[in-house]
Amino acid sequence: MDKFPNKKLTRRQFIKGATAAAALPLLADKFSFYGSLAHAAEESELVIAKNGSASQLLQAAMAPLGGMGRFVKKGQRVVIKANIAWARTPDQACTNNPDLMTALIKMCYETGAKRVAVWDHTCDNYQFCFSRSGLKETAQKAGADIFSGHGRNSYKQVEVQKGKKLRTVEILRDVLESDVFINFPIPKQHFATELTLGMKNLIGITWDMEQLHKIGLHQCIADVNTVRKPDLVLMDAIRILTTNGPKGPGKTEDIGEVIASADIVAADAYAASFFKHPKTGRPFRPEEIQFVKNAYELGLGEINLSKVRVKKVTAA
Amino acid sequence: MRKAIPYLRRTIQALSFFFLLYLIIKTAFPLELKIPVDLYLRLDPFIGIITILTKKAVILRMLPAVGVLLVVFIFGNFFCGWFCPMGSIIDFFDRILFRERKRSKASNDQAFRRLRYGIFIFSLVAGVMAFQVMYVLDPISLITRTLVIAFYPPAIFVFNTLVPQVQSFLPKNPFIMSTIPMPVFKVNLLIFVFFIAILALGTVRKRFWCRYLCPLGTLFSIVSRFRILKRFVTEDCTHCLKCVKECPVGAIPEARPEQYRRQDCLSCFKCLECPPEAVSFHFGLPHWKTADGVDLSRRYVLGSLGLGVVSALIIKANPLQSESGLKNNRLIRPPGSLPEEQFVSVCTGCGECLKVCPNNALQSTLLEAGLSGLYTPRLVPRIGYCEEFCNFCGRICPTEAIRPISIEEKRLLQMGIAHVNKTRCIAWDTEKICLVCNEQCSYHAIIGDDKKRPIVKEEKCTGCGICEHKCPVDGEAAIVVYASGVQKKLKPEDVNNNKTEVPASPTKNENSF
Repeated sequence: MDKFPNKKLTRRQFIKGATAAAALPLLADKFSFYGSLAHAAEESELVIAKNGSASQLLQAAMAPLGGMGRFVKKGQRVVIKANIAWARTPDQACTNNPDLMTALIKMCYETGAKRVAVWDHTCDNYQFCFSRSGLKETAQKAGADIFSGHGRNSYKQVEVQKGKKLRTVEILRDVLESDVFINFPIPKQHFATELTLGMKNLIGITWDMEQLHKIGLHQCIADVNTVRKPDLVLMDAIRILTTNGPKGPGKTEDIGEVIASADIVAADAYAASFFKHPKTGRPFRPEEIQFVKNAYELGLGEINLSKVRVKKVTAA
Repeated sequence: MRKAIPYLRRTIQALSFFFLLYLIIKTAFPLELKIPVDLYLRLDPFIGIITILTKKAVILRMLPAVGVLLVVFIFGNFFCGWFCPMGSIIDFFDRILFRERKRSKASNDQAFRRLRYGIFIFSLVAGVMAFQVMYVLDPISLITRTLVIAFYPPAIFVFNTLVPQVQSFLPKNPFIMSTIPMPVFKVNLLIFVFFIAILALGTVRKRFWCRYLCPLGTLFSIVSRFRILKRFVTEDCTHCLKCVKECPVGAIPEARPEQYRRQDCLSCFKCLECPPEAVSFHFGLPHWKTADGVDLSRRYVLGSLGLGVVSALIIKANPLQSESGLKNNRLIRPPGSLPEEQFVSVCTGCGECLKVCPNNALQSTLLEAGLSGLYTPRLVPRIGYCEEFCNFCGRICPTEAIRPISIEEKRLLQMGIAHVNKTRCIAWDTEKICLVCNEQCSYHAIIGDDKKRPIVKEEKCTGCGICEHKCPVDGEAAIVVYASGVQKKLKPEDVNNNKTEVPASPTKNENSF
């Protein structure tokens, strides 16, 4: 503040600003320049984009964060961890939305990425996952490479220094070596851990996924996330799976939101509220998801959304 | 032209073998080849006849085999010498390994030549009595099985070893090469030894297997007795006996080289290399009588017939299904398999389904299905599970022992039922959260109770074995699939995609801000 001695906030200014801040979101639907206004403001930490097509949602969600340019620099290699774990069709909401994936890959290339790779260690046979979800075709059409982690030579054993229970884990070499790592999860209901969110998605960069259950699943999810923190978390909540997760098919819900953040815990904390707690019937509170809580305790991010600069934007 | 024929034949043999290899390699996801990948097996009339006898129904897939029989009727037994991939291999090894070896004279092989007819009668009788071990000898089934079970896993092993080496020469991305999960088959050694033994018989005589044992060859020789394209020798013959020496199957008797045994001739046309050019082939009327035939005495025919009956009965009466002699409830058959008794008599054990299975879930039996079920496929969930949207095994089974069923039908077919072993299960035995089985189950057949412990709903379980495969417990899984005896249809599950409940407006989350 010392640098700007003349810029003292008067009461008048404060009221003006506060009124504008309260009024603008209310008028958001009527003003098309709302998005650009948001961009001019201070960078947000968690952006929620609503209403619009997949590419519009992505554009809207990335702009307040500072655009994709903040994460992807020219000539960098980008690795996207998508969720293609199951041999399900896109409308069943068990795998990523193909349109959003196309938009994401294209946006990476537009910002100057050298090469984009999409990875997943699938649970079903990878050939069936890739073809039924349509994401292999999608990724290749958009110009990205798509790889499955079915070969053990793709992994590298690393020590989990910050981990509480997990000591060593085999992580996809490409994820460790990439310049930019984007986590691209889809929120789903999950019987064992209540929800599959961004952090759970990163279980798919490890080799022995089943082993983690023996050690203690919730802590392992948090521990795995300490190995390579994603530079960007882009949550695909256009359509989410609310029952029979994570494999489905179950009931789906069209949320129509895309959430972007660099803070994985905050993104998960927000996405948890899409789902209702089976016992109480109220939306999940972030603390009720054990692995989110564990990750917060490990210092991976902020669980309390009131401490996060959240921005809700409308895409179209 | 005459000189070129042996080269032409060798080229066609090699092409035929490599085409089979290509088809076997293509017997994999996504299975979109225009040519049926089991083409060679469909061309095999021996398999066709035996399956008609055991299944008591004509299999339309096997129709091409009739065409082969027709061509054999015209040109004689061209199949063995020109197209049979097993014959190609035997010829190849006879040439490179046993070239220098002097063979005993081929003249007094009457007893041997009788052997194949004995085996043929034996196998027909046994086939009628539903005992499939004779498929073990069928050359097409044999070579497919050998390539898949004995040679495919080592090939993958070599590939996996080379991948990191090749990778180091390439720029790191985008050329990321992945190793392939190693396929494993426990009967591989047995099948390999059997194959080597067949090749080693070449030391005794050229093409020993083809001439004296192969049941398919026997069928072809019976038909080619009536062949229309015949060998004729003019009076220019100088008795130089070149053709006698050259004939790969010894079909030309030394005493009278102007004659030949039509039934044994492979139509390789090697004898056309006659110095005085006395030999020629042209069409003539079919005859039954042939020179120097084998003496199939009544005693011999009845003997092999009786042997077939008795051994079929003995093997049928053998209780060897599991160690205790009871029904083996770990014997899970592929989805759409015929009922067990029929299955073992129709399955040729060719191994195509083992190759096509994307998860290496299908394994060849040794004695798990009893003696008559040798080399038949079974689902071993601990090695691999049955993929939900895959019906490849039924689509490529040449004899339809695994019926070609649709994906929808397959998803409602119960092969077995999973059972939780509560003393081993992580969730039941400890406080930990696991439920991998629930998460992996494609059919919502495993639910969790209030303490997140798995419970199997039998009416939904198909026995695909994904739960057993993915169970993180070391060694034997804590959830195990047991065969349900006869495969039965399950009730279709109502598709619950937002039909019962109106999608509520997205749960608002003001309270968390």
